[in-house]
Amino acid sequence: MSSTEIAIAAVGLGKRYRVRGLAPPTLWTRLASLGRRRPAEFWALRDATFEVPRGRTIGVIGPNGAGKSSLLGLVAGTITPTCGRVETRGRICSLLELGAGFHPDLTGRENVFLNAAILGIPRQEVRRRYERIVDFAGLAEFMDEPVRHYSSGMYVRLAFAVAAESDPEVLLVDEVLAVGDVAFQLKCLDRIRTLQRQNRTILFVSHALQTVEEFCHEAWLLHHGKIVARGEPPEVILRYIREYMGEGGPVFTQEFGTREAEILDVTFRDEAGHETGVFETGRPMHVEIRWRAHRRLERPVFGFSIKTANGLYVFGSNTQIAHVPIEAIEGEGVTRLTIAPLTLMSGQYLLSLSIHSWDHAQQYHRREDWYPFAVRNTTGALGAFFLQTHWSVTS
Amino acid sequence: MSGEPSTLLVNMPSGPRIIPARGWSPSHLDLIRALVARELKGRYKGSVLGFLWAVIVPLFMAGIYVVFLSLLMGRGLSVERIIVGVFAWQYTAQCVMAGLNSITGNGPLVKKVLFPRGFLPLSAVLAQLVNYALSLAVQFGVLVLLSLRGGPGVDADVLALPLVVLWQTGLNLGLALWLAAAQVHFRDTQHLVGVALSAWFFVSPVMYDLEWVRPVIEAYPWVEHAVWLNPVTPILAAARACCIRGLDWKPPPAGWVGLLWTPLILGLGILVFRRAQRHFADLL
Repeated sequence: MSSTEIAIAAVGLGKRYRVRGLAPPTLWTRLASLGRRRPAEFWALRDATFEVPRGRTIGVIGPNGAGKSSLLGLVAGTITPTCGRVETRGRICSLLELGAGFHPDLTGRENVFLNAAILGIPRQEVRRRYERIVDFAGLAEFMDEPVRHYSSGMYVRLAFAVAAESDPEVLLVDEVLAVGDVAFQLKCLDRIRTLQRQNRTILFVSHALQTVEEFCHEAWLLHHGKIVARGEPPEVILRYIREYMGEGGPVFTQEFGTREAEILDVTFRDEAGHETGVFETGRPMHVEIRWRAHRRLERPVFGFSIKTANGLYVFGSNTQIAHVPIEAIEGEGVTRLTIAPLTLMSGQYLLSLSIHSWDHAQQYHRREDWYPFAVRNTTGALGAFFLQTHWSVTS
Repeated sequence: MSGEPSTLLVNMPSGPRIIPARGWSPSHLDLIRALVARELKGRYKGSVLGFLWAVIVPLFMAGIYVVFLSLLMGRGLSVERIIVGVFAWQYTAQCVMAGLNSITGNGPLVKKVLFPRGFLPLSAVLAQLVNYALSLAVQFGVLVLLSLRGGPGVDADVLALPLVVLWQTGLNLGLALWLAAAQVHFRDTQHLVGVALSAWFFVSPVMYDLEWVRPVIEAYPWVEHAVWLNPVTPILAAARACCIRGLDWKPPPAGWVGLLWTPLILGLGILVFRRAQRHFADLL
């Protein structure tokens, strides 16, 4: 691979910040800190070494404060590294957060030209593309209004429209698309697809894991300033959910019960029997639950439920509902749950498991939202669920 | 636009570098123009009088000084000299304040997009230059009006005024660069500068001229050197010499030395700003 085929290359890239608290620096704080020991430091990014081939879309995920925005700033050149170096080939465009560089008192039109100048688009070029920008933003009737009257969604739409027309070779997107309405988000994602087809390189920071999974060729997981995982989006996302989402993330796991029977561990297997965390829509999913009963328990019930990562309750059932009575359990054993075919669509899901008594009076052990897994939809079908369909044509 | 990617951005601890170095490009000119336009339009958008404020404010200031100084000091102060002095001083004072906030006031931009950071103080100063040019038109109108009532009027020396304005612009830009960088690193710069600016105003011959301090100079000859070593004194004196008939530009040696502040402050300002800009994004 020739060097021009590498869009972004970093070697030992690191960024260290001094902890100054929240207040901006003043002369007094500087003088006051002269005699004291060096202020505390932290590494926003550390030892990052990577290469991004041209045309790839990388999704950068991780908890808040993991160093995602620092990574983007270093690539864009706005943040100076403490050590190492990063090289970026081609014209870079950062999708400005909420139209940074917009002047609230200027009209939409004036701001388009201002923003374009900031992004380095020649003036004639903007004039030529002005109609397209306005059209894309869908703000034709507002272009002569000062942008201070715009809603935050309109702000982002205009900012994205300008950035999209800047025809970047490297596009840096930092968690901005979430602001627009659904229709505009789809439009943005469609534009990102176009850029992908044009072999542009995209670094995409997002908490919208679904979007990362759908759009990115590769996902990077950042934690405490380190790139801890790189690879196929579903696997990396799964690891993120498993290991870090507890840290201020949306997942709140719980465990309760009398523990007369305990869930020991759980293994996910695909149809070939291999252990996995990522399943395919329309294929079977196997869950092996190893348990131990500390005394003989009559007529226990094994239950499960599935939620999306956003907390939407998708499905719940148990051995009682499924008419699979279990006479008794004692000692150790394995219960197998098969979901075939899996009718969930792409995304991240959380499995809850429980063992309880026949009359639901006794909860022996329940693990709520304990087991994350991901689903990848390669069927090409669209929608909220995968429906088993059969066609027949008679004429 | 399509085809082989052209430039390589190398970001390392010594700062970001673009290879091949682009030097001056037309898009840079577009950017400066857009920033200056933003500065000018943004300031007067929504106000009824708009750009007129650029001339009304110094006119009011000059009027206030003329009225109160003649009340306090009696006759004998030249109205023309005060007007020229106040207009020229306003240019420097406005540049100092606008330049000071030119980086901190554009935090999101500096953090997100790479462009030459010096363009921000530069466009702040250029926007003030546009204002100053407008107010000069008013100034000459007033001088001509005053000449009808026995004032000295304007002579051909005015052709040298652009050179004086250029020299003053260099000083203003130098100050703007220093202060913009300092303000990012120490937020109290703003308050210090506010105080320093009023002190500077009183020690500079803005609402008086050197004739007026002649008695002091005769008693203490070093005061004359001190006054001329003030970077704005030779500029104010030159502006008056250009704008007012009968006044000549004859500074003592200290005045020529005072002129050297401009290249010194500007040159060092560029160096300091370059060094400081690496950490702007960290401190905003």
